[in-house]
Amino acid sequence: MKDIYILSIETSCDETSIAIVKNGNEVVALTILTQMDTHANFGGVVPEIASRMHTENITMVLEETLQKAKMKVSDCDAIAVTATPGLLGSLLVGVEFAKVLSYVYNLPLIKVNHLIGHIYANKIGDHLEFPNLSLIISGGHTELIKMTGDYEFEMLGETQDDAIGEAFDKVARVIGLKYPGGPNIEKLAKEGHNAYNLPKIANDDTYNFSYSGLKSSVINLVNKEKSKGNEINTADIACSFQTAAVEELTRKLELALKKTKIKNVIIAGGVSANKYLRGQIEEVCEKYNATLSLPEFIYCTDNAAMIGAAAYPLFLKGEFADLDLNATSTSRIC
Amino acid sequence: MHLFIDTHLNDIVIILYKDGKIIKKEIIKEEKEHSRVIMPIIKKILNKEELESIIVVNGPGSFTGVRLGVTVAKTLAYTLEVPIRTITSLECMALSTDEEEKIMGFSDKNGYYIGIFDNDYNLIGNYAYLSKAEYASYTEDYKVITDVQLDYLKIIEYALEKEEVNPHKVNPIYVKKIDVEK
Repeated sequence: MKDIYILSIETSCDETSIAIVKNGNEVVALTILTQMDTHANFGGVVPEIASRMHTENITMVLEETLQKAKMKVSDCDAIAVTATPGLLGSLLVGVEFAKVLSYVYNLPLIKVNHLIGHIYANKIGDHLEFPNLSLIISGGHTELIKMTGDYEFEMLGETQDDAIGEAFDKVARVIGLKYPGGPNIEKLAKEGHNAYNLPKIANDDTYNFSYSGLKSSVINLVNKEKSKGNEINTADIACSFQTAAVEELTRKLELALKKTKIKNVIIAGGVSANKYLRGQIEEVCEKYNATLSLPEFIYCTDNAAMIGAAAYPLFLKGEFADLDLNATSTSRIC
Repeated sequence: MHLFIDTHLNDIVIILYKDGKIIKKEIIKEEKEHSRVIMPIIKKILNKEELESIIVVNGPGSFTGVRLGVTVAKTLAYTLEVPIRTITSLECMALSTDEEEKIMGFSDKNGYYIGIFDNDYNLIGNYAYLSKAEYASYTEDYKVITDVQLDYLKIIEYALEKEEVNPHKVNPIYVKKIDVEK
C-alpha cells in the first residue's frame, strides 16, 4: 500500500505544534513551539495571549516543519487538526489554519480529539495494543477508558469533580509554587516525606475519581498551620499530596485490572509526564502481569505528532470534515 | 483578482476586486461563529488560481474575529505565494468619510476604538481605546465620526498602493488592553 503522510496541527493550549506523520506511526518531522516562558510571567496560561501567539507563529512553525521533513504540503495526503477539547480561542487558530491548507492543497481535512491524540501518542513506535485500559490524566481530564479497537472506547470511570492536573496546580499555588504547578510539585516532593496524614478519598467500588476533597484538605491544612503561626514544610506537603493523588489512580486501575483481566495499560495526558506516578502505575501493572505503554517523553506533552497518529484511522475510514468545521472547548471521548 | 477580508466586527465582509471593479461582495451579518463561515465563503467565490493579492483588515475590533481573518489571510498569502497588505478598521472608516476632521471611532461592549487621521489618511499619533466614561468626556471637546458607510472600492484601491508585508509578519493590532496587561 502507498505510504500515507498526514500533516497535523495542534494549538489547543500554549504550544503551537505541527508535524508530518507517516502511516500513523512514524514521525517524519515535528515542531513544537512552546509559550511556557511567556505565560510563566503571569502565573498560568493566559488564553488571549495563547491565541495571539498561535496566530503570530503558525506559518513559521509550518515552514520549519516542512524544512525538517524536506517535504511540501502538497506531498501530504491529508490535513489533521485538534478541534476539541482545549482553549477555544487557541483551537480556533489551528482549525482555521488547517482549513486554509485543506482548501489550498485540495487535501481532506480530519478533525481530531486532543485526548484521543494523547492515547494515540502510543501508536508512534507501535505500542498501542487492544484491548487496553487507558488512563487519561491531564489538567482537564481524569478518565479510565477501556479500548477494544481503533476508536472503540468504553468509559469505565471519570472524575466527579476536579481533574488530577487541576488539583496539582491548585495545591502548587497554595504552597507558593510557580507555574507550571504540576512539575514543580513533583520536583519538590522528592525532598519531602509523607509526613502529613491526608484523608483517603472515598473508597468505593466504582471506577470514578475524586480530587476536590483531597485538594480542599491540603488547602485547609495549610491555612490552619498558617493561622497557628506554624511553619509549613512545603516539601512534605507536596510529597504527601502527590502520594495521595497517585494512590487514587492506582487503586482504581488495580480494580479494573482485577475485574477486566485486560493486560495492556496506557497512560496519556500531560500528567503522565510525572515520573513518580509512572513508577507507581508500573508497580501495579507488574503485579497483574500487565504491560504498561508510555509514549516517548516528547510525545507525552502537547504535540502535533500524536494528532497525526490519531488521524490515521480516521483517514483510512474516510471520516473527513468540511470547511465549516468549528472548534469546541469541551468534549467527551465516549 | 484581489481578495479583501474584513472580520473585525460581527459582520463578515469578503470581497473580490478585479480591473477597477468589485466583482463579488459577500456580507454575512451578525455572525457569532466566524470560523464556520469564513473558509466556506472564500471557497465558494474565489478561484484560487486567479488570486493576485490579499488585503486584510487587521484590527482593531473583535479579538477573535480579527485573529481568524488574519490567520486565514496570512496562511493563504504564504501558501499561494501572493502579496498581502493590511489596512486597519479605522483607516477603512477614515477613507469612507468626506469630513475634514477625521476623528474616527466605533464602539464595542465596553468602550470606543479611536483613530485620528490627516487628509491623506495617515494616522496621527496612535490608536486608542476609551472607556465609555472617557469617551463621554472626550466627545465634549471633539466630534467623533462613528457612522460611515464603508466605501469598499476606495478602501481596496487605497490598500493596493500600500507596501506588501511578509506573511509571517502579518498580525492583528488589538489596541485594547487585556486584564493581565493593565
